[in-house]
Amino acid sequence: MQIQDTPSLKAEARNLNFFYGENKALKNINMPVYDKKVTALIGPSGCGKSTYLRSFNRMHDLYPGNRYEGEIRFFPDNTNLLGADVDPIEVRMRIGMVFQKPNPFPKSIFENVAYGLRVRGENNKRTLDDKVEHALKGAAIWDEVKDRLSELASNLSGGQQQRLCIARALATDPELLLFDEPTSALDPIATGAIEELVHELKKRVTILIVTHNMQQAARVSDYTAYMFLGEMIEFGKTDEIFIKPKDKRTEDYITGRMG
Amino acid sequence: MKPLTTEEIRLVIAKGKFRDNVFKATGIFCLALALVVIVALIADMVIKGSERFTLDFFFNFASRRATQAGILSAWVGSLLVMFVTAMAAVPLGVAAGLYLEEYAKRNWITHVIEINITNLAAVPSIVYGLLALGIFVYQFGFGQSILSAGLTLALLILPIIIVATREAIRSIPAMIREGSMAVGATRWQTCRYHIIPYAMPGILTGVIIGLARAIGETAPIITIGALTFIAFLPPVPFTAADAGTTAGLFDWIFSPFTVMPIQIFNWTSRPDPQFEINAAAAGFVLMAMVLSMNAVAIYLRYKMRKNIKW
Amino acid sequence: MNEKSHLSSQFDEDLNGLRSHVLQMGGLVETQISSAIEAYSKGEVSSVKHIVETDRKVNDLEIAIDDDCAHLIAKRQPAASDLRLVFGISKIVTDLERAGDEAKKIAKGVRRIYEAGQMPSQYGIGVRHIAEAALAMLRQALDAFARLDAETALKVIQADVDVDTEFKSIMRQLITHMMEDPRTITTSIDIIWIARAVERIGDHAKNVAEHVVFISEGRDIRHPPKESKA
Repeated sequence: MQIQDTPSLKAEARNLNFFYGENKALKNINMPVYDKKVTALIGPSGCGKSTYLRSFNRMHDLYPGNRYEGEIRFFPDNTNLLGADVDPIEVRMRIGMVFQKPNPFPKSIFENVAYGLRVRGENNKRTLDDKVEHALKGAAIWDEVKDRLSELASNLSGGQQQRLCIARALATDPELLLFDEPTSALDPIATGAIEELVHELKKRVTILIVTHNMQQAARVSDYTAYMFLGEMIEFGKTDEIFIKPKDKRTEDYITGRMG
Repeated sequence: MKPLTTEEIRLVIAKGKFRDNVFKATGIFCLALALVVIVALIADMVIKGSERFTLDFFFNFASRRATQAGILSAWVGSLLVMFVTAMAAVPLGVAAGLYLEEYAKRNWITHVIEINITNLAAVPSIVYGLLALGIFVYQFGFGQSILSAGLTLALLILPIIIVATREAIRSIPAMIREGSMAVGATRWQTCRYHIIPYAMPGILTGVIIGLARAIGETAPIITIGALTFIAFLPPVPFTAADAGTTAGLFDWIFSPFTVMPIQIFNWTSRPDPQFEINAAAAGFVLMAMVLSMNAVAIYLRYKMRKNIKW
Repeated sequence: MNEKSHLSSQFDEDLNGLRSHVLQMGGLVETQISSAIEAYSKGEVSSVKHIVETDRKVNDLEIAIDDDCAHLIAKRQPAASDLRLVFGISKIVTDLERAGDEAKKIAKGVRRIYEAGQMPSQYGIGVRHIAEAALAMLRQALDAFARLDAETALKVIQADVDVDTEFKSIMRQLITHMMEDPRTITTSIDIIWIARAVERIGDHAKNVAEHVVFISEGRDIRHPPKESKA
């Protein structure tokens, strides 16, 4: 199937460079992120795809010695996410993230999801209850946990924990969700559930997903970007990338040929 | 190479197993040696001091007659000093550890600070006593009081608590911190909701190990001039004190005092051999206090860690 | 096409095996067609049996290759050029098998004509000509597949127009012939069937060529959009 309409922009990297100290990890990246679409970032280990992903919510600011150049424009308000005048906290309030390994807090299921709301100063019991339920439903885990919201999150299975983490990110209604290899620690069934969920989620939120699994990228994404050695080699519709990539390096990577 | 026959393989295994057993035996011997020493020590104290284990011993003040002398002022003093120590050292140590781990920029200043904290832990306790004598007793005018002693010991165990706090914080996976920051939490919110609670078991262990060390410290307490012969307790808050006045909430803090190790030291230096029995009995009580603190630490750590999994 | 080898050498072997099977199958179909042409022009009814037997081998190969394609997709999840190759091969074998079927039809038609004791009239000579053109198209298409050469494939596609035109002219000739001499109707109809089969072989060769273009360039040129009428 071809994607007919040209979707609107949710974000756009413009001449983005990133440095770990002296080490240039991202080289002049230009890439659009389309609204309410799933964009997959693929590439071999160390190609900078996670580094790129973590630039969107300024995760690199947590560690010293990291430096951005260029900008990531965020729409509709056209904010530069990397701007010196933009508070990373504000960025993270608008952009949710799901990590490689499920990382629920060692607290109750309820508190895990409510955390983002509490951080925003929400303490009203009714509001919290409603929003937690809504987020858990959104992450397709409500039926499994509704009777044990006060139990520890660590008692859940890996796949459930990851969906709980998705609920945690959803609870605050993010505009963009970042997934950093969300299924690399999960078994195929749990992986399938997450992929199904991603498909559902794109109705309400824009998704950017890093994955090692090319088939996963092919399955879940509308657009795919191939990165290699910190460069954006090719960006295009997923169908085109997986059937007829334009760049030889993309072709070699997705067909599993030696570099 | 020719493949080994079954016989040869068995021989090789037998040789290896023999070495295994030799090492095992050596290990058990070393362990037994250490255990025997500590058991012997405790047994010696128990046997020597057995005739003093009466309620009177716990509730009598010091006396010139060995049989009537008790440790009331000593254990009450020890507990109060520990209380002050904990009150001072825990917030300071935890805050310092938290700052160094979560807030401080990694530069040469923090590096120097880190090295010096480790060095502080190695400073002989008598030096802390001298420092405290100058600062708390004379400069701040706290006198030879529970407050001075508590603060001195707090200084002594501060490095232990800082190091324990940092270790506990470091054992929290980065992904928990990132998970918290990723929903838009500030550093303080992350510390308040996650870092401090999850580091608590580790911090607590550090605190109790620190306090266990402090409770046995003699040198700095002597340096700041704790009395060796006290026949009264610090004033209990809101009770009648001398001259018809009522003791304030914190009056006890400025009271003269003695502590367990000093009491023991005092008794061992008496010529009358009867006091040696007192010393042994008090030594056992002190030992029991330290061990029970450790037990509490282990229990609390177990209880708190049970819910913290990642 | 990508000449670099895969990280998995087994994958390379599987793909190469698949390609050589297709070429083998193509070779069989080519012999079927050329034997059928020979039979038609020389009246060798004996070779008909051989053509029918070869068709069985072709059918078996089709099934085997399709099976290999399914296995390869299940095991390797091929992407990009590999995906196009496997997908294209699966379609090429269908066309090859049908071309083989057409050769069989020709052979059977030849047998009917000669067993009835009739010879193709001079109007039937044109059939040999387009049959050779169609066979050449198939050869070229297979050649293009072997080298994954889109240029050659495009030539094949153009050649199909000539075969179609020639087929139409043969039809017109035969119809005229039948009207002139109704006794030739039975033979003429058989010849029309044969010409029709030949024309179909040309179409299958064109399809193979189109699959080759898809494999090598990722363009699907099967149904070009009609030029919009002003």
